[in-house]
Formats: sequence, C-alpha cells, structure tokens
Amino acid sequence: MESLTSPVKAAHPDGAVYGTVLDAEVALRFSTLDAEYEAIRERAALLDLSGERIIELSGGGATDFAQKVLARDVEYLTAERCMTSLVLAEDGTVVDQVVVWGREDGLLLESSTGAGTRLLEHLRAHAEPGVEITDRTAEHALFGLEGPYAWGVVGRLIDGELAALPFESVVDTQWDGVDIVFARTGVTGEYGYKVLVPRESAERLWTKALEQTVPAGQEAVELAMLEVRQPVVRHEAGGGVDVLEMGAGWLVDITKDEFVGRDAVVAAFEGTAERRTVGFSGGTEVPAPGTPVTVGGETIGEVVHAVHSVGLKSALGLLRLPPDLAAAGLKLTVGDTEVTTLTSPYVTPKSWSTPII
Amino acid sequence: MNLDELRATAAARHDTCAQIKKMIVSRLDLPIEPAWITDDQPLFGRGLELDSLDVLELYVAIEAEFGVALYDSDMSVFGSVSRLADHVNPALVEQAPTGSA
Repeated sequence: MESLTSPVKAAHPDGAVYGTVLDAEVALRFSTLDAEYEAIRERAALLDLSGERIIELSGGGATDFAQKVLARDVEYLTAERCMTSLVLAEDGTVVDQVVVWGREDGLLLESSTGAGTRLLEHLRAHAEPGVEITDRTAEHALFGLEGPYAWGVVGRLIDGELAALPFESVVDTQWDGVDIVFARTGVTGEYGYKVLVPRESAERLWTKALEQTVPAGQEAVELAMLEVRQPVVRHEAGGGVDVLEMGAGWLVDITKDEFVGRDAVVAAFEGTAERRTVGFSGGTEVPAPGTPVTVGGETIGEVVHAVHSVGLKSALGLLRLPPDLAAAGLKLTVGDTEVTTLTSPYVTPKSWSTPII
Repeated sequence: MNLDELRATAAARHDTCAQIKKMIVSRLDLPIEPAWITDDQPLFGRGLELDSLDVLELYVAIEAEFGVALYDSDMSVFGSVSRLADHVNPALVEQAPTGSA
C-alpha cells in the first residue's frame, strides 16, 4: 500500500524535517521541539495528522463488525460522538489504538500515525458479509488543534460554540462554505480538537489556521502524549506485551461479551502479570529502549521508551518492571543514571486550570 | 534503598491505590472490578470517564474514608489513582526519594 504523505506538504513552513513513521512520511519538526512543545503546553498548536488513515466501516453489518474488532463497546456510539479504543489481535497484543467516529451510515476509524496499513489489513482479515471496509484517507485531510488556548482558535476560525463541546463530541458543520466534521478529542491533556476536511479545501484551512497557531510535529506531539501517559502504540506495544503489561487495560472493556482478543485479555486479567509499566524521569541522557534497570547491580527490568522532556528538563520515559516494583516514588538505576519513578500525569496540563471563556 | 526496601515502598503505594480504587468503584457504583483500574489510568476524559458530578461524590468519599479534605482549585489531584494516593496518604511522598511525585 502506498505510503501516506501530507496533502498540505507544500504549505508547510520552510525547513520542516520529515521522517518515516511506519507507513507514513510525517513532519517530525516544523521549527524546534522547544517552540512546538511550548505551543502545545502554553498556547495553541496546529497538527497535521495526515499520517493517520481514515477507514470507513459501512453497510448493514458495520456496527456488529465494529463490535467484533474493537475492544470497547461502540453499539450505542451515535453520529455525535467519538471514542478511543484498542484493536487487538487474537493473542491480546495491540494492533492499533483508534479513534472511532460515529457516523449516520456507519463508523470511521482513525488509525494512529503510520499504523493505518496494518490496521486495514487486520480489519480485512476479519471482514464479514454485510460490511464494507473502505479506505477514505485520500478524500480527506485531518488536522488537530491542541493547547490551553486552542478553544480560542476554534472560536475565531470556525464557531465559538464548538469550543466548549463536551469531550468526545462530533459535529457536522461548515467552514468557509465547506462541509467539515469537527470533534473535541485531544491527546495531550490540553484542550484538543480535530477537523476532518475535504482534501481540496485542506491547504486553505491549514493556511488559515496557521495564522493563529504554531505547527507542531510528531516529536512534540508524542512527547506531550507521553507526559500525560497517553499510549503511543508504536513505542509501547512491541515485544509481545499484552495490554495490561503495556498499562493500557483502560482502553479495553472487559465487560463486553465478545471481541477479537478478549480471551487473551481475560486470561491476562485473571493471571499474574510478569511485567508492568511505570514512568520515570532523571538524567539528561536519553536511554535507549532495552537499557537495563538495576538496583544494587541486580537487573530488575528495562526501558521501554524514553525521550527528552522539555517540560521536566530531563529524560522521561517508561520502564517495564516486575509488578511488585512498578510504583511511583522509587529510585532506580537506568544504565548509569539514577532515576525516579513517577505518578502520572508526569506534567500537569495547563488546560486543567484554564477555563474556556 | 535495597530491593527489599523498594518493595516495601512500592507495596505501601499499591495498598493505598487499592483502597482508592475500591472506594471509587463502590461510591460511584461502577460495573468493574477495582483491580481493573490501573494506578496510572486517567480518571477523566478517555480514562475512567468520570464527570464533575462524580468528582463531587469523590470529595465526600475521600474525606469520609481518608480524613483528607480536597479542594476543587486543584484538579490535578485527580490526574490518576496514583496521583490521588499522594494526597490521601502524604507518607507516600515523604518516604519517596527527593524529586518524586
């Protein structure tokens, strides 16, 4: 399948740095990580989410099919709502984390960045009569707005009433005479919105939104997600870990009767996990995944993923440890550096104390 | 700290977190087992999906069960079960190494 590229790449700022994330070429940075992070945490950032594939489930069997492949209950998801769910393989490992958009005539699944091809293949492998699985990515562009003052941008750009929608609301509306789908659903802990716009109008909307925002690339977004412990599947789900070991059990509804991977998840809930995930910070060097975690010279776990946190001014990451040691407030050694395990969120979003006015 | 001391520190936090999870499930009548909630799970938004009415109930419940009064000026208290544990059991922070929590 063709690699995704941004339909508004020509309108990106000069000097943008690109990289490959699974099946997508995405902007890693438009300017500097510090400037983009500051926009997300202090003002309003514009995200080009072109690396996220949009897959439509339609037909009479769409809801039943979605119930089968999604780990959370979407039976009553209306066209005014969206939600986040995991998609699991039979063995309980994570295929992807998706945003499910309710639609009048089916559902839209928004993949995580670059994971759309894998998701599409998984869906088609489980396809049933009565459901059509259609890749709609080429017809749309998806943009995000994140930040404590993103609501102000929504008001000035589209409609002030949309800014204060309840979390995970979806509205069909218009921007500048063009039909768009608007949702309030963020990933960084700050106020967050998404706009699904027809591709032919994408560059116009991007350019207009850029007058009031700072564009933020993949690195800044993933850092901000990590700081509030929102899973980034591509960093956290490898190595055959199940959803509990990953710490994403809350994105699975175990009370749901049936879904692909449920048996494995139930077994994990009932069993004794060998590993759990906890956040840490400390030091200025960013340890590589797999770096041993030690206590008194004894290895007790390893680094899953780590980056430099602009907010904490130190390395920030996730450790996989035995369950009895997976807790905040411990001093451990990662490589040669002393680190401290943390309570989440690791950075408190400014939006939590910033009202929408 | 040696490994045994770290285990004891972790166990104290796990105990407090377990108490909080049990309280949340009981007071809010959630259709889940307390153990299904993870220590790091967000309580609002796409986490446990609590709303403002749930928070009011939790203020009352926390004061009744832990003798700790919380105020709505600091919603970060409800960032996760583990974050809440720091507030209902300050000893967890005191015994933790400098820089944590």
